[in-house]
Amino acid sequence: MPTPVKMPQLGETVFEGTVARWLKQPGETVERQEPLLDITTDKIDTEVPAPAAGVLLKVLAAEGTTVQVGSVIAYIGDQGEEKDIPESYQEAGETLENAKGPEAVSPQPAATAPTDAAPAPRPEGRAFVSPVVARISAEHNIDLADVQGSGHQGRVTKQDLLAFIDARNRQPPAAHLASGAAADEDEILQPLSNMRRMIAEHMSRSVRASPHVVTIFEADMTAVVRHRAARKAALAQKGIGLSFTPYFVAAVAAALRDNPTVNSRWTDAGLMLSQRIHVGVAAAVPDGLVVPVIRDADELNLLGLARAVNDLAERARRGELSPDEVRGGTFTVTNHGTNGSLAGTPIINQPQAAILGVGKISKRAVVNSGAKTDGAPADPLLPSPDDSISIRPMCYLSLAFDHRILDGLAADTFLSDVVNRLQNWAA
Amino acid sequence: MASNYDYDLIVIGSGPGGYVAAIRAAQLNLKTALIEREHLGGVCLNWGCIPKKALIKSAEVLDTLQHAQDFGLTFDNLQVDYGAAVDRSLQIVNRQTKGVGFLMRKNNIDVIEGHARFTDAHTVQVGAGPLNPDGEPRGVTAASFVVATGARAKDLPGVEADGERILQYRHAIRLDEVPESLLVVGAGPIGMELSHIYATYGAQVTIVEMLDQALPLEDTDVAQEVERAFQKRGIKVLTSSRTEGFDIGERSVTVTVKNLNDGSDQKIEVEKALLAIGISPNTEDVGLDAAGAARNQEGYLEIDEYMRTSRKNIYAIGDCTGKMPLAHVASAQAIVAAEHAAGHAAAPIPAGRYIFMPRCTFCVPQVASLGMTEAQAEKAGYPVNVGKFPFMPNGSAQAQGVRGGFVKIIADQRYGEILGAHIVGPNATELLPELSLAQMMELTPTEIAHNVHAHPTLAEVVMEAAHGVEGQPIHM
Repeated sequence: MPTPVKMPQLGETVFEGTVARWLKQPGETVERQEPLLDITTDKIDTEVPAPAAGVLLKVLAAEGTTVQVGSVIAYIGDQGEEKDIPESYQEAGETLENAKGPEAVSPQPAATAPTDAAPAPRPEGRAFVSPVVARISAEHNIDLADVQGSGHQGRVTKQDLLAFIDARNRQPPAAHLASGAAADEDEILQPLSNMRRMIAEHMSRSVRASPHVVTIFEADMTAVVRHRAARKAALAQKGIGLSFTPYFVAAVAAALRDNPTVNSRWTDAGLMLSQRIHVGVAAAVPDGLVVPVIRDADELNLLGLARAVNDLAERARRGELSPDEVRGGTFTVTNHGTNGSLAGTPIINQPQAAILGVGKISKRAVVNSGAKTDGAPADPLLPSPDDSISIRPMCYLSLAFDHRILDGLAADTFLSDVVNRLQNWAA
Repeated sequence: MASNYDYDLIVIGSGPGGYVAAIRAAQLNLKTALIEREHLGGVCLNWGCIPKKALIKSAEVLDTLQHAQDFGLTFDNLQVDYGAAVDRSLQIVNRQTKGVGFLMRKNNIDVIEGHARFTDAHTVQVGAGPLNPDGEPRGVTAASFVVATGARAKDLPGVEADGERILQYRHAIRLDEVPESLLVVGAGPIGMELSHIYATYGAQVTIVEMLDQALPLEDTDVAQEVERAFQKRGIKVLTSSRTEGFDIGERSVTVTVKNLNDGSDQKIEVEKALLAIGISPNTEDVGLDAAGAARNQEGYLEIDEYMRTSRKNIYAIGDCTGKMPLAHVASAQAIVAAEHAAGHAAAPIPAGRYIFMPRCTFCVPQVASLGMTEAQAEKAGYPVNVGKFPFMPNGSAQAQGVRGGFVKIIADQRYGEILGAHIVGPNATELLPELSLAQMMELTPTEIAHNVHAHPTLAEVVMEAAHGVEGQPIHM
């Protein structure tokens, strides 16, 4: 079989070369590694050695022709093997041979010899990207290859790009994956439930819409634990289970009254401050979670909150919540501590401003800074012989907030308000 | 195409929309006919763009000769013959219309004389027109039609343009001699251009405009520059003013003009008055209802981005669509309509594209623009960067004796997109294509500024304005 001679790659950034001069003419014999032709590129000029010994059967790229790296430019073989040259190359060779002279030098793909690969369905090349499109796509981090162009020769116009961005923003992320959903042999496709899709859509939208920031405080829960221990048995007799969740809801509802921007939502016109405090409490259910809402939580006492939390959680598990009971929250509490999590970074329940994550309450060693020694204005952070360690029920509280609405100071003020209310729970 | 019709495509009206549609259709192998009731070339070639441009050239030469001393030439026997200038304009018109006839023959397009009326969506009756009053009506059928019937000067209620005291543009473009005084109603492009011609030839011109600026569609800065230049030349520009009555006398007409700001009236006696208050579409007597092509309240044919009317085999282009009554817009629409009718891949013109088509007014100073005015861009909510550079410091402008004018580019602050470009000054209309190409290809002022412009040319001012968008003009 004839051996193809290809345009060599002469550097990482060299993609094409021009045949300067054939040192052998068709019909002449060459030795392997004998100089066969001179080529020039935009970087260097060099000789190309013959890849095999034999007769130069056919020249496909005439002198002066520019072809892409890897293109077949000639064939070397035994005398009489011309007929074994692939037919497509025979035709292309004639075109290229006819195109002698400097006018044949062309960066157009049309003038390149076919490559080993199957012929491309459309001309390869860099598409024109307008500066406006370049700036918008850079800002939105978009690969223009994904965008269908409507302009001349498929150019992506600003309109095309804006439509693409718009569609992308509206598309649920699940749909992105749907296209690539062919399972590998060691994968099993578990179809998505409606709830899974809704959660996926909501979570992705929330992360896109709100710049999330998380701040974490620690609360000493001694007062709350003591309070709960004192009342738990009596309430249980009345059929009311008293968990810790109502305490957190109560503290949050009270703190929201004093920090109204935390109880708001973002609009382009301005912050919409809610005049009522409806606290959602995330509840795990099979294959997902729901967030039933306790309306006017600030108007309920601890007992009322306990009843509400229990009622909603129970009906959530049984799937008996009405749509209205999971809507209209102005703030959300998620108690991931019940699963053993120490601290989490929850995602905001849109369109709210923030969400409180409650970690596991566990006994930890707490250092109490000792009393000041006489005279010296000692820094309480300095070691002191009066320092002591006590063991307290502690809890990490994490607040994820929308940084468009709240800054660190406002968020920390709110969260420390919650902590204070928990730590100073009246007996 | 369908062989049971006489033609694949019939174009009604041979203006710069219609005849271009016919040529493009013929190029795409449609059997094509063109129906015209008056002269090939329509208003543009016969009464509008072409004779106007010829007269404006004459006015420019006259102005140059009157200021010859500035250029080191003196002479004392300047003879001004306006009639000869009109004759010259008509010769050019003649050559141009003959050229259209030649193009029709070359492309094997049948030209049918007469007035066409649809009887159904595939048939028109071609009856007597003004030029063939005895023409026998005949029915012609086609698979598709392009309606390019154009528009005419809008009437002012209660006033008849008699061609003597009260003129419209068709009269004004062919006057034998220059009136001593002229009142122009309407400061749109037509009013401003004819005012410029007659003022240059010595007429005392007064312009009355109801809105608060001359060239009401243009950027306020541009309008102010033109108004200042006109006032300096002795042309009175009365904005926020309305004509209340025309008292036609033997040798003059007395026009009552009301100032809409203070309510005061004044009477202005002039030899002639010109009505240039806009256009009305020629869509009443075309049988469009029989064809099933819907018109809007003002009578304009409603079209989609491929120029299709509500009746899908009937296309409409040009002034009768009310999109933008300019010859080049009609020609652009024509190509889309013809290509679409031929089943060829046509590049659509969406409604939002029209604002970026070039607008031009050939008075002195010349005005050319595209896109939004600064006020419109701000109203649309864009954060804008504006680059504005005067012609005055430019070497070429000084050599030509030009003092006023500027180039103003309005760009979106975020992505640099060109939102509007406004040129007032010498050769404004010839300088605009760089900006319209840049806008279409979504280049930003940065690329225009980086594009090297030959020196000394007026085009350097465009480059300077582009630098100015980024706050860094060089020669300022």
